[in-house]
Order: sequence, then C-alpha cells, then structure tokens
Amino acid sequence: MTTSLRQILTLMAKDLRVEARTRQTLGLVTVLGILIVVVLGLGLGAEAAATRGFGATAVLWVAYLFSGVLCFEKTMAVERADGAMAALMVAPIDRGNIYLAKLLSNLILMAGIAVITPCGVLFFAFDLSIAPGTFVAVMSLAVIGFAAVGTLFAAVVSSTRLQGGLLAMMIFPVTLPLVIASMQLLLHRFRDGQSIGGTGLGVLMAFDAMFLTLSWAVFEWVLEP
Amino acid sequence: MQATLDQPRETTDLKAPAVQIVDLCKSIDERPILRGVDLSINPGESVAILGANGAGKSTLLKILATLTSATAGEARLFGVSLRNAPASLRAKIGLISHQSLLYRDLTARENLQFFAKLYGIPDPATRAINLLSLVGLGDRADDAVKTFSRGMTQRVAIARALVHRPQLLLADEPFAGLDVASVAAVEELFDQLHAAGRTVLVVDHDIERSLRICQRIIVLRGGRVALDKAAGDTSAAEIEAEMSGT
Repeated sequence: MTTSLRQILTLMAKDLRVEARTRQTLGLVTVLGILIVVVLGLGLGAEAAATRGFGATAVLWVAYLFSGVLCFEKTMAVERADGAMAALMVAPIDRGNIYLAKLLSNLILMAGIAVITPCGVLFFAFDLSIAPGTFVAVMSLAVIGFAAVGTLFAAVVSSTRLQGGLLAMMIFPVTLPLVIASMQLLLHRFRDGQSIGGTGLGVLMAFDAMFLTLSWAVFEWVLEP
Repeated sequence: MQATLDQPRETTDLKAPAVQIVDLCKSIDERPILRGVDLSINPGESVAILGANGAGKSTLLKILATLTSATAGEARLFGVSLRNAPASLRAKIGLISHQSLLYRDLTARENLQFFAKLYGIPDPATRAINLLSLVGLGDRADDAVKTFSRGMTQRVAIARALVHRPQLLLADEPFAGLDVASVAAVEELFDQLHAAGRTVLVVDHDIERSLRICQRIIVLRGGRVALDKAAGDTSAAEIEAEMSGT
C-alpha cells in the first residue's frame, strides 16, 4: 500500500470513527433532508402536476444540496474544535491527501443521505422504475462534483472563522452549472423519455474532473491552522 | 520512563543549528508582526520565548511549525529551509499548543494511534500506550478526551506531540489554563524532554517558570528580539523591563 493511500485511509477511518461515536452529522443531515422533502411536498402539493414525477428530482436536489452543505460544515468542524487541523498540517502528509480523505468521508456520509430518496419517490409519486440506473448514475456523478467543491469551501469557511450561511452562498453559485446539467439530464430521461446517452454523463464527469482537480490543487493554499 | 523518551527517530546534522532565523519578517493584513528577527538555536537547547501580547511570539512559532509562511527573511530547521516545508522536515517537528490539537470524541489511545499511523510509526498501539504511561494516563487510555480535565488533556496533547519522537518541540503557551498540579506535571515532562536531548522552544508568559525550566531566554518586543541571554545570566527584573520596554 502506498504511503499516500495509507494516510488517506487513516484520515478517513478517523472521520468515520468520530461520526460513529457522535452520530451527529448523519443524523442531522438526514433529518434536514427529510424535512425539506416533506415541507416542500406540503407546500407544493403532492398531487400538483408540476411536482409529480420528474419534478421530484428538483425537490430531492434541494434536499441533497442543503443536507450536503450541513454535512461539509460538520465534518470540517471536527478538525477545528480543538485545533486538530494544525496537528494535521504539521504532520508529514501531503495536504492534498487531507482533502481527498475529507472528500471521501463526505461522500460516504452523503451516500447515507440517499435514504431521503425513497421519501421523495413516495411523496411525489415519482416513478423511479423508469430508469433507476440513470437516476443513480446522474445523481452520483453530480454529488461527487458538489462534494468536491463543498469540501474545499468548507475548509475555506472554517479557516476564516466565518460560519452560518456563507458556505451555502459560496458553494451554490459554483456548482450551479453542475446542478443544471444534471437536472437537464433527468428531465430528458424522466419527462421526455429520451436516453441521456454517454455524452450527458460525460458532461458530468468533465465537471467532476474539473472540480476535483482544482479543489485538490488549491486546498493546500486555503488551509489555515 | 527514560526508555520511552528515547532519541529522535532521525539523526540530525550536528553541524546545523536546530533553528536558524535570518531577518525574518511577517506581516498580516499589512500590519508588521515580526520585523527582522535573527536567531540561532543549537540542538538540545531549551529556549523560552517571552514577550507582551502582540510581540510576535506565537507568529514566530507558527512559522517554525510550517503553519504559516514568512513575508521575508529566511528560517531553517536543521539546515533545511522552511520555504517549501518538505514532509521529511515536518516529521522532525512536534507541536504543542494551548489548544489540545486532539479529537475530543476519540479516546486518548485512539488519538495517539491515529497520529502514530499518520507518521508511519511501527506498532502504533504499543507506542500509544507507552506514551500514555509516560504522561501518567495509562489507566485512562480508553476514555474519550472530552471526559478529561484540562490538565489531563494537555498531558495527552504532549504525548501526541511526542508520538513520532520529534527532534524539535515547539510549545505555544502549554501551561495556559492549567492548575498548579498540572503545571508541575507538565514542567516535569519538559525537564525529561530536555534531559533526553530534545530541542525545545516554549512560548510562555510566566517569567519565573521560564527561568526555571529553560536554559535560554529570548524576549520579543514589537516583532524584534529585545533580549537573548542564558537563563543564568539574566533576571526576572531584566526580562520584565525588556518586555515592557522600560
């Protein structure tokens, strides 16, 4: 096993151990996600044509976005609570490895947030059986890009001691093209019944590659103890 | 106890100073914090850095810990420039702060094992328990750090800083918030570190304690070195006068 891989796995295992011990992040973000789906469902009306079916994907996206932001904040807060980030920065590890480990931890926790998907399906009568694989592929690729940016900005926000809604304000504009692209793909498939093909997924992969590379490259420069 | 506080993992270049700083400057938001600091510290020395609030003590330590970079000037540890702070150089540094730099939801053992793994220490489990025994917390190894008192937490923090047998130990106000008994315990640990030949830099506010536990006293005032003397060659009155600039 290479040194980098060992370090990433060690960092990630620590994050998951802390989460298993506290159960704070996953519990909070899941409840938030379910609340968003339920509140939007009640507000928009589950029977309304505008929200039936494919429209549920938009509501689910809103839930993923806000739950994701909370997830990124909470996982980075663990490093800040008693200054542990300084100890990581002094350790002989590539700071890009700290980013990759934190990103993987966030992705694992966001996979847990996927439990809100059945809520959306039930609440909005969304027929996911049309193309479940497409839905999973599109959302997975979109969430990877979203988490790539979110992990970076969570480090920025925690470094500057700024909290609250600032993280959302930083992440959402940057990831908007990714969200729009993924929504367009889902509309093509679930509303229009068209195949999204490899090109559509390729666009999302390109976004992911760009966000991942840039975030990994600049992470070292945004870190402050 | 001495067996655990063993020699650093890597041998140093004995010809090179542990710390060499030349005309070091640091500004934050265009406000100068360090204004041309020159220092040379030999391996094995224990040095106290004193100064009033805002004198630049913690900033100097942060630069040496590679947590921030200097605006101008040059800093070298064991002959290696901090400019790029290579991983091999960072492996020689141990950092203690007034914050614990620990994960409060993990146990003391888990914290030390985690950092031992990050540093690639063979047999992290044994290293963790040895260090916890050294700081007198062997029987609390499996308790979460958040259940510890401030003094106990600081002892685990010192164990964490020693997990990779660093050649240079940087301590930023390690006595802050400790009660008398904990101060005595931490002082004893510093004595052991000095006896084991570690180079130790301690930022502190307590003049008497600094004179007691360190060989050399450096006073920073207004971002410059105002006094640099052996502890035996100075006095609390002189240090206080240099700190206040009177």
